[in-house]
Amino acid sequence: MMTARFFIAALAILFTLSHGTEAQEKYPNRNITVVAPFPPGGVADLTARPVASVMEKILKNPVVVVNKTGAAGAVGMSYVANSKPDGYTLLLALSSISIIPEADKLFDRKPAYNMDQLVPIALISADPTIFVVHADRPWKSVKEFVADAKKRPGEISFSSSGVYGTLHMAMEMLMHSADIKLKHVPYGGAGPALTSILGGHVDTLASGPAVVIPQIKAGKLRPLAGWGTKRVASLPEVPTFKELGYDIEFYIWAGLFAPKGTPEPVLKTLRSTVGQVVKDPEFIATMDKIQTPISYLDAPEFQKFWDKDAKMLADAIKRIGRLEIQEAK
Amino acid sequence: MTMTETLQNLYLGFTVALAPGMLLYAFIGCLIGTLVGVLPGVGPLAGISLLLPASFGLDATSAIVLLAGIYYGAMYGGSTTSILMRIPGEAASVMTCIDGYAMTRKGRGGAALAIAAVGSYAAGTVSVIGLMLMAPPLARFALRFGPPEYFALLLLGLLVLAYMSGGSLPKSLAMALLGLLLGMIGIDPMTGYFRFHYGLVELGDGIGVVPVAVGLFGLSEILLTAGQAAPEVIKPRLRELLPSRREWKDSAWPIARGTLLGFLIGIIPGSAHIISSFVSYAVERRLSKHPERFGQGAVEGVAGPESANNSATSGAFVPMLALGVPSGPIPAVMLAAMMVHGISPGPLLIQQQPELFWGFIASMYVGNIVLLILNLPLVGLFVNILRIPYPILYPSILVFCLLGVYAVNGSVIDIWIMTMMGALGYLLRKFDFETAPIVLGLVLAPMLEMSFRQSLSMSSGSYAVFVNRPIALVMLAFGVLLLVLSLRPLVAENWRKALGLQGGANLEEKNSSSP
Amino acid sequence: MDRISGSLLALFALWVIWESRNLPFGTFRNPGPGYMPILLASALLLFSVVIALTGGKAERLTSIGWKEISHATAVLAACIFAALGMERFGYRLTVLLVAAVLLKAIERKSWFLTITLAVTLAFGTFYVFYTLLRVPLPFGPLGI
Repeated sequence: MMTARFFIAALAILFTLSHGTEAQEKYPNRNITVVAPFPPGGVADLTARPVASVMEKILKNPVVVVNKTGAAGAVGMSYVANSKPDGYTLLLALSSISIIPEADKLFDRKPAYNMDQLVPIALISADPTIFVVHADRPWKSVKEFVADAKKRPGEISFSSSGVYGTLHMAMEMLMHSADIKLKHVPYGGAGPALTSILGGHVDTLASGPAVVIPQIKAGKLRPLAGWGTKRVASLPEVPTFKELGYDIEFYIWAGLFAPKGTPEPVLKTLRSTVGQVVKDPEFIATMDKIQTPISYLDAPEFQKFWDKDAKMLADAIKRIGRLEIQEAK
Repeated sequence: MTMTETLQNLYLGFTVALAPGMLLYAFIGCLIGTLVGVLPGVGPLAGISLLLPASFGLDATSAIVLLAGIYYGAMYGGSTTSILMRIPGEAASVMTCIDGYAMTRKGRGGAALAIAAVGSYAAGTVSVIGLMLMAPPLARFALRFGPPEYFALLLLGLLVLAYMSGGSLPKSLAMALLGLLLGMIGIDPMTGYFRFHYGLVELGDGIGVVPVAVGLFGLSEILLTAGQAAPEVIKPRLRELLPSRREWKDSAWPIARGTLLGFLIGIIPGSAHIISSFVSYAVERRLSKHPERFGQGAVEGVAGPESANNSATSGAFVPMLALGVPSGPIPAVMLAAMMVHGISPGPLLIQQQPELFWGFIASMYVGNIVLLILNLPLVGLFVNILRIPYPILYPSILVFCLLGVYAVNGSVIDIWIMTMMGALGYLLRKFDFETAPIVLGLVLAPMLEMSFRQSLSMSSGSYAVFVNRPIALVMLAFGVLLLVLSLRPLVAENWRKALGLQGGANLEEKNSSSP
Repeated sequence: MDRISGSLLALFALWVIWESRNLPFGTFRNPGPGYMPILLASALLLFSVVIALTGGKAERLTSIGWKEISHATAVLAACIFAALGMERFGYRLTVLLVAAVLLKAIERKSWFLTITLAVTLAFGTFYVFYTLLRVPLPFGPLGI
């Protein structure tokens, strides 16, 4: 009986304490967690780790990257959106952060999170997407491609990392702007999408530059255009869609976020830390190696950028609508 | 590549790999990998992710060697808890739980561990040779696997299930269907609909294999044996720790077949390594002259799957190294590690970075040897863990299960899944069902469905796509053949008995766990 | 016995079909999200009926031994507590309680053994995994 009573008492005390307050201490004083909502090895992860390690150097406090994967990033993003705004849980998210709540609305689902639950800290990188075709296919320029696509709508195929994913969105914008119809074969991630085009199972792909540049150099894929406003540094002969007359741009960007309600001083510290991170030579060297251009925007400019980007994506999603029945032509 | 060139390159590789610094990294990697593998649930992916940041400070070759060591070590270590406690160290070790644990019950646990280690070594070494000699052409072949080929392959895997069933065929198939249905939970990748998720966003990617495997096998075992003074394990004496001659002889062919099978399945991008151990188990069972021994402690049921596991690991590196294409989450992390060090993985990697490639190959040889040396003496140590009185042992095991399952994704939902699957496994075993097919179904379902619908997408709705392509056609034909063969018992005289429709056929499974 | 398990499975299959009613089925050429689940559930229904019907030769329900049920329930309860408590109370406290309850109340070991082992397990594993390996493990109140 003693044992039972003891345990019950202990439990009771614990329950009351679990709603207690924490002492105010200097920030940061324990491990900061940066949540990367994608599996290790992906773009979010690759950007998060150098950022975290340089932040750790500057703050002299451990900064750990945690992969909380699931639902194309929704799990990790909603986790941070709903976590305590004390500055110890941060999110490194990609542009898909704007897609998920819209997609939820499309399906009449309660959104996993809302974009206003998150406060931007800084934009760190922005990868312009590149449009590549399999080397064996005949099109040498966007003009040829579009002409062919208009002749046979719904036949030319493209792979993507998943429905409503970033790679799908980019292609969707192209299809809308050029008024063509392409066949979409979704895969479970950027890796399988790339494997598919390399095997010749689909004709085209929109992809971040880092993974396709080695394939381009090896002659397996041919780049036709890029979705950036400027040409990609390592592919100077590839025009941008804007140059060719299509008013579209799409970046796979990565930025750091915190839950709404994080105290101002904490946000200030984080913002200035990131500002120092992007100037750090070690960081610059690492980002250079993974071929991801640094594109730094501090919080206020980032908020504007994010709003504009989110609106563009929301429009695209509404256009796509629900993919109930694939259009089999 | 001529023989002399290969040997020269290998020599180059060994000079890289045997440098003291590199050896140290290989050793550390293997050590950590073993620890990670032994811990239930946490698998090589988690281990590699943990050390990824630490590897940033190293040069490229050392980093890759370190991470590969972890991958290998985890494969070796995963068999330890599977054999000794019927808890899968990682999802790929699920099949080893079945016969491995049964061997432990009979006091042959040490032998099982030794065979697993040796089989893994043999498979690892041979498959590295395969990797070394044939990486580029194999990779090109692997690329030709598109959605229709995947579908045919996975369907074949499912049909192979028919050979795995020891007891009643309808029961095993029902379990497989259950697993397949569980795999339907989550976002439908083709349309974005959420299925069966009940508002929980964590279920968006479906139920993880790890909590299911740990719960269904490990937790259910604890539930069935809790409260006993000790499960009926014959504690072996020291000299009984090594496998008998009989056991060595019986393992030879399974190891060979497992190696080949695992390697082939491993090179195909995207396929899960779990499949390799399932297929190996089924093949061994089919080819064995005494299939009823499986489930009772047949050493072939340990040798085959364990070898298949390890050679699938090397196989997974083929597309990664030869083409720069990630064939799964773990090679993807290694590619990322390479990119961070400024190495551009791609088809030209082998030519442009020979020290990396050959150093890597050589370090895999070295790693395998290191692991063998590490694991064999540890067999005695591990078996001694079983001497700890069970009432103290099982709460500790439970803690490690909780830790392992939670640590994979940092999600409490996984603990819930483990608990529910544990309860389910408990009931299923009481009611005389096999639980392994559930795991297979769970793993296969998303890929099966996706390949199916992707194929139809590619062909704009035409089902002819499955027979128009040679590889797919061959596999489907093979599958049909297997199906017909397995239905042969139906026309046999005592077809009821052959199909195991009598409830008594599964008595052994029940007896081995109930007091 | 098989009749019971077969019927339970059949009920489950029916429930899945019911739950899938909202998902678009699609056409034969264009399967929608509901296609596979309904297909699979129907197959499961078929097999579970077969199991139930041919279960005559199986053993009776009463022959299943339930001797260990009390311990099993305790273990399950511990797991449920762990799931509830992990993020509310933090890793170390939760594990401490789980281990302590199992060792003391269920297995009736001595206080000394219970406390030592529970504390070692909880804090020891925490140290190895959180501090050394930097695996994120949740904290509870009071920063424990």
